[in-house]
Amino acid sequence: MSLRYIIFRNLRKNLKSYYLYVFALIFSVALYFSFVTLQYDPSMDEVAASTKGAAAIGTSSVLLIAIVGIFLLYANTIFIKRRSKEIGLFQLVGLTKGRIFGILSAENCILYFGSMAVGVLIGFLGSKLVLMILFKILGVDAMTKLYFSPMALVQTLIVFAVLYLLIMLMNYAFIKAQSILSLFRVTAKAEQQVQKMSIAQIIIGILGIVLIVFGYVLSARMFSGEALDMQQLMYMMMLILFSVILGTYLFYKGSVSFLFNLIRKSKNGYLTIHEVLSLSSIMFRMKSNALLLTIITTVSALAIGMLSLSYISYYSAEAQAKESLPEDFSFAQASVKNRFVAELEEKQIPYEEKHRQPIYIELDAREVMDDSLTEELLFSSVVSDNMVDDIDLEPGEVVFMGYGSAIKQMISIQEKGPIVLHGSKQTIDQQLIGTTKQGVLPVYYTKGMPVAVVDETVYQQLQKDLDPELQEGEPTDYYGVHIVDGKQAEEAYGVFKEQQLTAPSFSQIEFRNNQRTNMGLIMFIVGFLGLTFLITSGCILYFKQMNESEEEKPSYTILRKLGFTQGNLLHGIQLKQVFNFGIPLVVGLSHSYFAVKSGWFFFGTELVTPTVIVMILYTLLYSIFGLLSVWYYRRVIKEAL
Amino acid sequence: MWILEAKKISKVYGNKLNKQEVLKGIDLGVGKGEFVGIMGPSGSGKTTLLNVLSSIDRVSQGSIEIEGKEFTGMKEKQLAEFRKHHLGFIFQEYNLLDTLTVKENVLLPLSITSVPKQEAHRKFEQIARELGIYELKDKYPSEISGGQKQRTSAARAFVHDPSIIFADEPTGALDSKSASDLLGKLSEMNIKHQATIVMVTHDPVAASYCSRVIFIRDGQIYTQLNKGDESRQSFFNDIIKTQGVLGGVQQ
Repeated sequence: MSLRYIIFRNLRKNLKSYYLYVFALIFSVALYFSFVTLQYDPSMDEVAASTKGAAAIGTSSVLLIAIVGIFLLYANTIFIKRRSKEIGLFQLVGLTKGRIFGILSAENCILYFGSMAVGVLIGFLGSKLVLMILFKILGVDAMTKLYFSPMALVQTLIVFAVLYLLIMLMNYAFIKAQSILSLFRVTAKAEQQVQKMSIAQIIIGILGIVLIVFGYVLSARMFSGEALDMQQLMYMMMLILFSVILGTYLFYKGSVSFLFNLIRKSKNGYLTIHEVLSLSSIMFRMKSNALLLTIITTVSALAIGMLSLSYISYYSAEAQAKESLPEDFSFAQASVKNRFVAELEEKQIPYEEKHRQPIYIELDAREVMDDSLTEELLFSSVVSDNMVDDIDLEPGEVVFMGYGSAIKQMISIQEKGPIVLHGSKQTIDQQLIGTTKQGVLPVYYTKGMPVAVVDETVYQQLQKDLDPELQEGEPTDYYGVHIVDGKQAEEAYGVFKEQQLTAPSFSQIEFRNNQRTNMGLIMFIVGFLGLTFLITSGCILYFKQMNESEEEKPSYTILRKLGFTQGNLLHGIQLKQVFNFGIPLVVGLSHSYFAVKSGWFFFGTELVTPTVIVMILYTLLYSIFGLLSVWYYRRVIKEAL
Repeated sequence: MWILEAKKISKVYGNKLNKQEVLKGIDLGVGKGEFVGIMGPSGSGKTTLLNVLSSIDRVSQGSIEIEGKEFTGMKEKQLAEFRKHHLGFIFQEYNLLDTLTVKENVLLPLSITSVPKQEAHRKFEQIARELGIYELKDKYPSEISGGQKQRTSAARAFVHDPSIIFADEPTGALDSKSASDLLGKLSEMNIKHQATIVMVTHDPVAASYCSRVIFIRDGQIYTQLNKGDESRQSFFNDIIKTQGVLGGVQQ
């Protein structure tokens, strides 16, 4: 039996049991390669020019290496441990450690570079798909071609060769430390794990839950509640992060076993097979995996959170454009507007014009606001009801327009109540009679604050008593152009673009597109990284389960001898996997939910739909690994008797 | 009236070219309330016999009945059902689940057959007190000694009143004190509850606790010894003698 024979035999056997490792390897290479190909793709130039796309992709490819690298190294530690027995055996029959290292390296080399070749091929074919997805998200109408980049190939080869060397280094260190005795150590290890619940553990368990809840409560209060300056906000965020992450760690370390122990205690020793396989096993296992699970949970929470936020932003681009720019086109200068309108007439695009002349005052709205805001007087723009359609006010009445979702979270204003308008000399008492989401002036004029709409007479009165300091540097005219037929808006935007009008001129479509491009690219990258992370962490959990199933195989033998059927056991295992994959998933989802909820209004107008879509998608992808592991368990149980 | 009756059972491992006949047509009967020992040199087929009798392994030929039920032709699922109602097991390596407490381990067989809770707790208390493990009920297997583990394992075997209990080298991993403790308890249970026990062992001392010892050699029954009214000591001497004749190697 030559060494080569051993290598090939091992390889054949390993391929069968490590198919997921090979898959993960192929997948990471494919992802990385297609990602780097994007960076060098000439058709990306268009995207890159507008959004610094190349830089963003470059940075994230480094992150991608980090994720993939950590994953491969971690997976390797799992697999090399599984083979310690084999290594011991080789030593027993007289192979030197050098020879064993040689065998392992050769074997890994074939496995690794074989999958790499496949991965590059898939990545090459997939890069077009990836690019198509990106262009679809960004709304770019460019043709995508299959593009092979030698640079990308070289970069991929270098990165993965370095990773290979690292893995070999790790294997070398492992073999070096391995003695023949470790042949027998495997079984002895399992028995130490089980001990009784101590008081310290109960405290840890409770503390974990308390910390998480504390973090959640803080996050919910971060942007409502008292106003905070930047520094306080920073401290607050750090406190939240710290408490939630530590809480998560303690949760895995203690809370899970604590809760499960409570359930178990209530059963008073009489456990069903499902409880035997799920509760009692998880109680002890989760503790030892606490760190790993914390990392997985935190990063998935981060990924889901970022993905949700960018999707919220992307999703609400249109609504946000309408909120920030009341009309299709906005101009601050009459001359610019006239040039644009003239062209519209020539093109025979029917339009409506709006002209508003905002004035700037300070107002006292303490009566209608929560006492959260400390400043006494608010800077506000004012327009007359004559300038706004559909609104006719009596003297003394005020409506706040443009009170959108973002500002709503910062300042809460009641629907009705007394407010006081301040001129430079006199003050006017008014009654607030309502707020609307719909805006009348672009953010450029309002600074994001709601616009006070007053009766024409009050407007005149205020205009005579203006504080010149407040008017300084502020635009005095607003010209809005509304395209009557929505279908012609794009055509009008063509005109707008062609004329290259001087600022300040705004277009709703442009605003929306910019938002989509920026957020789309971020979403794409976050999605890409998130997907990689999801798959790698799913694989790691799966590998862990693979080990666990083999460690627990003797238990299955006992249970089957006692008369439990394979079906009984499998049901129990399914429950166990629901917990094993479900707990990290639910904790991750809940973290990201609270993270998103605390600040989503800065990103868009719609919370539920985008977040739920992202979460469902994540859950579905995640469950695949749970199913795979159940499948593996089925095999182990079958072989157990 | 046999509670277990095996007729002409044989077990063959391997394929056509490389056949190994481990059991060569064994006839065997165990009566209710008997404590039967199976002895024999290494490789004689005692463990295979026990596995086959306890439905864990299948015979190649022959039939086995327990309480009048033929089970060699049963499907896997029926077998599991059969085991859970009729059989109890004690193994050399204790085979306790180390994530469960003593009480949970003992109550496992009852939870399969969904015995009412009240009944289960009563049953546990009775058995555990008899075997002297009641005080350990909330401990995990890693916290108790080998002898205590084996008594836990025995409690698990007895708790659901099986028709017959199979013990595979139950004293193999125990020190002599714990071993004699356990055997004492086993024969106590045997006499008090009329429990039927079939035990494989290679230890003559352990075998001397039985009421009958069957010697196996090369897959066949070599001879049997009945204790009758003999004292344990003289029965032990008989066993030693027979074992000497039996030997390990063909002369």
